[in-house]
Amino acid sequence: MKKSESEQIRSASGIELKTFYTKDDIPKAHEPYINTSPGEAPYHRGFHKKGYRTKPWRIFQLSGFGKPEDENERIKFLLKNGETGFIMEHDRNTADHCYNVDHPQVLARREDVGLTGAVMQSVRDTAICLEGLPIETSFGHAGGAVVQHAPFALASYWTVAKKLGYQLSKLAGTGQSDFNLTYLGCITKQQIPTKAGLRFNTDIIEFCGKEMPNWVPVSIAGYNGADSGLTPDQELGSLFANAIEYLDEVQRRQSIPLEVAAKGCAGVSFRASIHIFEEAAKMRAARLMWSQLLKERYNITEPKIANLRIHCVTAGSKMTYQQPLNNIVRGTLMGLAAVLGGVQSLGVSGYDEALSIPSEHAHQMSVRIQQILQEETQLAAVTDPLGGSYYTEALTGLLVEKAWTFFEEIQDQGGYLACLDNGWLHAKAAENQHLEFMEMEHGKQQLVGVTCAEEDASPFQIDGFMGTDDAFDVALERLNTVKRERHERGASASLKALEKACRGEDNIMPPIMDAVAAEATLGEIGDVYREVFGDWNIPIQF
Amino acid sequence: MEHKRILMAKTGLDGHWRGPTIVARALRDAGYEVIMIGMATSDEIVRACIDEDVDLVGLNIGGHIKVALRAIEAIKLERPDLPIFAGGTITPASARQLESLGIEVYPPGSQLADIVVAAGRLINSDSFSQAGED
Repeated sequence: MKKSESEQIRSASGIELKTFYTKDDIPKAHEPYINTSPGEAPYHRGFHKKGYRTKPWRIFQLSGFGKPEDENERIKFLLKNGETGFIMEHDRNTADHCYNVDHPQVLARREDVGLTGAVMQSVRDTAICLEGLPIETSFGHAGGAVVQHAPFALASYWTVAKKLGYQLSKLAGTGQSDFNLTYLGCITKQQIPTKAGLRFNTDIIEFCGKEMPNWVPVSIAGYNGADSGLTPDQELGSLFANAIEYLDEVQRRQSIPLEVAAKGCAGVSFRASIHIFEEAAKMRAARLMWSQLLKERYNITEPKIANLRIHCVTAGSKMTYQQPLNNIVRGTLMGLAAVLGGVQSLGVSGYDEALSIPSEHAHQMSVRIQQILQEETQLAAVTDPLGGSYYTEALTGLLVEKAWTFFEEIQDQGGYLACLDNGWLHAKAAENQHLEFMEMEHGKQQLVGVTCAEEDASPFQIDGFMGTDDAFDVALERLNTVKRERHERGASASLKALEKACRGEDNIMPPIMDAVAAEATLGEIGDVYREVFGDWNIPIQF
Repeated sequence: MEHKRILMAKTGLDGHWRGPTIVARALRDAGYEVIMIGMATSDEIVRACIDEDVDLVGLNIGGHIKVALRAIEAIKLERPDLPIFAGGTITPASARQLESLGIEVYPPGSQLADIVVAAGRLINSDSFSQAGED
């Protein structure tokens, strides 16, 4: 659709786009960085001179539903089809809330159980999910996206690994415990308050810092801010505002070297959305900002730490319900933006994203998109192919400026946690969502197949993937079995020890590991949290 | 004239708030009073319908259709004439099921303007006037 020549076009971050760019458009502060090479500070040009030739990006898809064995089967399917790491998804109803399936809130919605991830209430369930998976040679994501669930998810994964004879000190993988998801993007009915959440995450960082050098303890997800409505500059600014909450807390505790914690926090995720150049510039800006932050705030310049590692997921909210095959193109373009930005790991949303979790076919297509990008396009041959482009460098520099401004705004509000507690970030996100919708309603932004080109010559019918229908029944049976068969005194003693640790200041990970090993269940552990910490006071109505 | 009241609730335990908050804002801008109760069981939804004396219910559905149907059945039992509409990630098959019960469905990609018009139509089926206007 032709735009009027005089019409202003702005990027998602509100940067007014010119019709073409020259050297003069690059912000002065950014100029000195242009002639650096990939692998050199400030790293916006990428993690290594040889880029993807040394290591292709990881094909890393969210996966899971139903019973642990259903999830196991799907992960094996993805690995067989070319996935190079794996992600465990846990059932939202139980995991995110730390409820067992017999909790009244879950019983009232029993059919929802297992729709968005496998139900894992005890270490036995996790063992089934991990059965036969290459956890020693592959990079595994243990799940635990939501803060209060992360300690249990991690401890379960690690306990199974230990039982299989692997050394924790050698295990590579990642957790998540993302504040953006937990307190901004996907708010649970009950959740520990942000202050307790900060303590949990710092405990995980500390534990991994001491015991598990190859594990990414927490992974801040800009994705979850962006897909809730934050603009790319806000996604960047809030991510680093989140990072300093963790690093400042580690600095206050002085229990592990700050460098170790910074390395642990240097594995983050971003959303790759549909504005290709701005999104690629965002990944470049992120690396630059991380190295600036570490140098200026913490005096850390060690390349291995100052070099941010990025996992990227294509924007689920950009996938349309109408004409779902068009989403294959959207997934490809968003994946392209991520790769042009030099990310280390990528997940492409399923073409059925607007309807359900991915069907096997949609999942396979997400992997194929990535394989085509890796194998056929020569995208992986040259590092930072956009480097030096007037437009890309200008966008990178402008995003850095805008993002630091947003970072400072958050500090002025009392910091990232305060902005979650008082609903300031939610209001920002909601306002952006509203504006985005208004642009579509008024025809300023078109969505193909939705607001224009709505005709469909040969509709491709998909009905959404509903998983299995026995997840709840099997989970309830297994819950009863584990409670019947476990050493009851050991389990209850471990929960008491956990409660004591929660009430005090000791790291909660060792008692969580003990509780998981003693087959204490998710819901019982959640009860301890609720008893000790109470609930977060949700600042918005939804 | 008093503002017409719309109850909005989520049937599942998935707290993505993007969809319902955008819809709630559009309805408020059109003059309705919107009462949001977030994630609620069918019992909680019915109680809110009665306590708040609402004129329309909007359900945000993100999970299994049976969970939504349970809520709808419970509402219909207590307040058979109360109109209901629904949005969220609803599969086409589930949408057809809801539509067969007389419930209008607004999947992702629906226009806010259409949702606002639908609210007016559902609340006062013999008038197209914006029921929320003074």
